[in-house]
Amino acid sequence: MAASVLKRCVTAAVKVKCLSPSVSVRRWLLSAAYTDTKVWEAREKDPQNLAVLATIMDRTYDRNLPVSSLTVSRFVDNISSREEVDQAEYYLYKFRHSPNCWYLRNWTIHSWIRQCLKYGAREKALHTLKNKVQYGIFPDDFTFNLLIESYIKDGDFKSACSVVEEVMLQEAFDLPSTQILSLYALGSYLATRPQLTMSEERALGASLLICGLKQDNTVGLSAQLVGNALLGKVEMLKGIHAVFKGMPLFWGHGYLGRAMAVMERAASADVKLSKDTLDYVNNLLQELSSTSDTDSSGEESAGEEDKKEDVVDEDDQAEQAKLPQYVARFTELSSQLESQGKVDSASFQALVTALAQENLAAAEKPDVEQYESQVQAWEAERRQLNQREKEMREKAEQERQERLAAKAAAQQA
Amino acid sequence: MVKKKRLRLIAEMARKIRAYRELKSRPRDSQKFALDYETMRRPLTGKMLPVLAWQDVRRESRLFSLLAGMRMFGVGRLFTRKSWLEDHTEPSYWQITKVKVDYTSENMDHGKAWGILTYKGKQEGEVKEVDKVMYHDWRLVPKHMEQQLKDFEPLPEPPVRYTPYPPLLRAMMLAQHKKSLGSVLAEEPALPLKRDIVLNKDYFRKQEQEEQRTEGTAV
Repeated sequence: MAASVLKRCVTAAVKVKCLSPSVSVRRWLLSAAYTDTKVWEAREKDPQNLAVLATIMDRTYDRNLPVSSLTVSRFVDNISSREEVDQAEYYLYKFRHSPNCWYLRNWTIHSWIRQCLKYGAREKALHTLKNKVQYGIFPDDFTFNLLIESYIKDGDFKSACSVVEEVMLQEAFDLPSTQILSLYALGSYLATRPQLTMSEERALGASLLICGLKQDNTVGLSAQLVGNALLGKVEMLKGIHAVFKGMPLFWGHGYLGRAMAVMERAASADVKLSKDTLDYVNNLLQELSSTSDTDSSGEESAGEEDKKEDVVDEDDQAEQAKLPQYVARFTELSSQLESQGKVDSASFQALVTALAQENLAAAEKPDVEQYESQVQAWEAERRQLNQREKEMREKAEQERQERLAAKAAAQQA
Repeated sequence: MVKKKRLRLIAEMARKIRAYRELKSRPRDSQKFALDYETMRRPLTGKMLPVLAWQDVRRESRLFSLLAGMRMFGVGRLFTRKSWLEDHTEPSYWQITKVKVDYTSENMDHGKAWGILTYKGKQEGEVKEVDKVMYHDWRLVPKHMEQQLKDFEPLPEPPVRYTPYPPLLRAMMLAQHKKSLGSVLAEEPALPLKRDIVLNKDYFRKQEQEEQRTEGTAV
């Protein structure tokens, strides 16, 4: 599977350079050099028997001794089939729940994701990533890029968005390549107009907001607008605590107010906002006002339920009361933006694709170089760990010999 | 004379073994601070949490519940507490430097953390253990808000004000100064209205030593 993917990448790489108008056909964002496994495969191999490693680890756990991160990394490196991926998942879980859980190496995590992708266990990788608390999988930015790219290639935008959500939870939008890939995935997912549950809306809104904060152009501001609007919707319906619990978000009220502030910023600065994002926010606000109207009309019947809930804060109620103000402000600002000509008629999706075509190649180069140097550093660290383990084993052996000799001497005497 | 006490070596050994076993079987953090969210009881002791804390326990999270889902257990990130946000306008936060997680807990929910505290905008010098880690009170500061918290400049403390001493005490002080040194005290003795003395054992011991020094070995 990896070979066919590589072949497709190579043939498509030629097409990527010439800007073809059929943008919707081409789905690969990252170039072949980025997703190439050459540098990774060029590391020195350390063939070990997985069964032997497994028995060593089991025995160490039974005796309540800590397992070294080197053993786990050897296990993950030597995976050679799909079943072994499942076994490795079990050992990752056990390692996470051992005293050495802090020492899980970055290269082990990278290797795990690579192996999952190689042996077609992408859902397993996503599962361990989602339950990162239990498995301890915290990939670095390059690995995140690889994972998002593999999902985008297959057009599975929903899973790509769940990976972007994980990136958001780590607040790992530092590399411009990650920002572009995530915005592409989010834009494509939104373009399919999916039915979203409250938690999905919250996650999507948070990812859009945090990713959009890093970019200062049309795409970034539009993303911030939609993100703030989605979070404001959740805030209106469920209260502020439902918004920021478990997410790296600000706990202050008034997300819709911040959405309006983004629009004002666009009106005053030299940045446009995309038309379909404005339409999306408009629909959202209309939905909210209609639901709040039906709520207030049906309140007497639901009186006893209110008493049971009783948790709707005064601050949340004050927010809900501000909704008509927000709607009015939104219509005012959108007409202002249209009159100033700051509404970009291209869709969010098209804007992101254009941004990707301009900037991605430039953003990839430093990433690839840094990755290569990082692989060298990982190799050096691995060799040092190997050395240290060998020395410790020799020392333990020596001490054992001395002890045996001393015991034999004592017995003889 | 008292009858000589019998050397009960085995009892001594048994005592030591019992102490060691008690040390070994101390409940872990995850067992001590586990909580049943329906009845609001700790399973270990069976005690209930105070009623005022129930709403917070349902809505907020413990520090380690936040740390468990972060890279390197959130070392280097800032964390605030909801009670600080409500009580003080100046920002107060912990910056985590070291984490020791209790690996027996199910969701890596408990442990000990160390960090640098910034209380009401004033940063303290050294690394201390984060207290009240198990309280359901903690909030992560997102990276885009970190600069806003760090930028806060606390107002400089107003200068310490002084008042004159009560007249009798002042007269006593001036008389003593005249007796010991022979000259009249030039400036007015002033009583500072703020003492930064921490009243602990070291302070009182030092005071006793000074008194003994001034008295000499008269007694």
